[in-house]
Amino acid sequence: MRKRRNSGHGDQESTGIDLAPMLDFVTNLLIFFIITAVFVKESGLEVNRPTSFEQNESDTESIQIQILDNGEIWVDNRAVDVRAVRANVERMSAVSPDSGVLILAQEQAPTGVLVEVVDQVHLGGIYNITFTTTQ
Amino acid sequence: MQSRRHAPETEDTGIDLAPMLDFTTNLLIFFIITTSFIKEAGITVFKPSAETAINRDSGNLLIAIRENGDIWMDRRRIELRDVRPQMERLHIERPDDTVVIIADKESDAGMVAKVMDEVRLAGITVVSIAADPAG
Repeated sequence: MRKRRNSGHGDQESTGIDLAPMLDFVTNLLIFFIITAVFVKESGLEVNRPTSFEQNESDTESIQIQILDNGEIWVDNRAVDVRAVRANVERMSAVSPDSGVLILAQEQAPTGVLVEVVDQVHLGGIYNITFTTTQ
Repeated sequence: MQSRRHAPETEDTGIDLAPMLDFTTNLLIFFIITTSFIKEAGITVFKPSAETAINRDSGNLLIAIRENGDIWMDRRRIELRDVRPQMERLHIERPDDTVVIIADKESDAGMVAKVMDEVRLAGITVVSIAADPAG
């Protein structure tokens, strides 16, 4: 008996676990995650959409910018250039500092103009933008 | 001479796999952490550019709108009425997802507004319009 137990010490020389199957498994997982990884970062502008309740009351106190189907921009019943939007917004926000901007776009207005206007309003210092469409 | 040199070496030819396993596991952990499972739109559109576009880390449901009004989501073209059920399903799966609408420069603002409304009806409140941050 005792002799056999002593001979058990000899086994300690080869106690290493075989890591090859685990390596196979981990490599498979790794390949899966490499393949499914998507490194897409989208940057964007945030605008509000009015709910039907607040649509009427916000009209009175906010700066209105209209975008027509052909891409024209109207502020205060005047057609203005995209670059003039910022100055207009700055002037009007100086008069009433905590006002928001309401962008009224016609259905067919190009999105590019819309985004440019939103960008200009942001540069003018107002981030509370509401976006509605008209027929 | 020959037998003496070869016989002992063939007994332990196994490479030690432990360092390789460590390295592979580290790579695996990196990819698990960085994977975000973004639902890509599946097409490329000409995005408008804006200086004030901000990068949102959590913007991972992408809806693309082409200039002819086609809506693309998850690499498939879908109808406007399908946007809401799709969004509701994805919103239940991962409630903290946000939506980025990638609209073409020439697409109609009315279509963008309609898609935004459908997304909001599905219960997702954070919706932004994609723009290239380059000014």
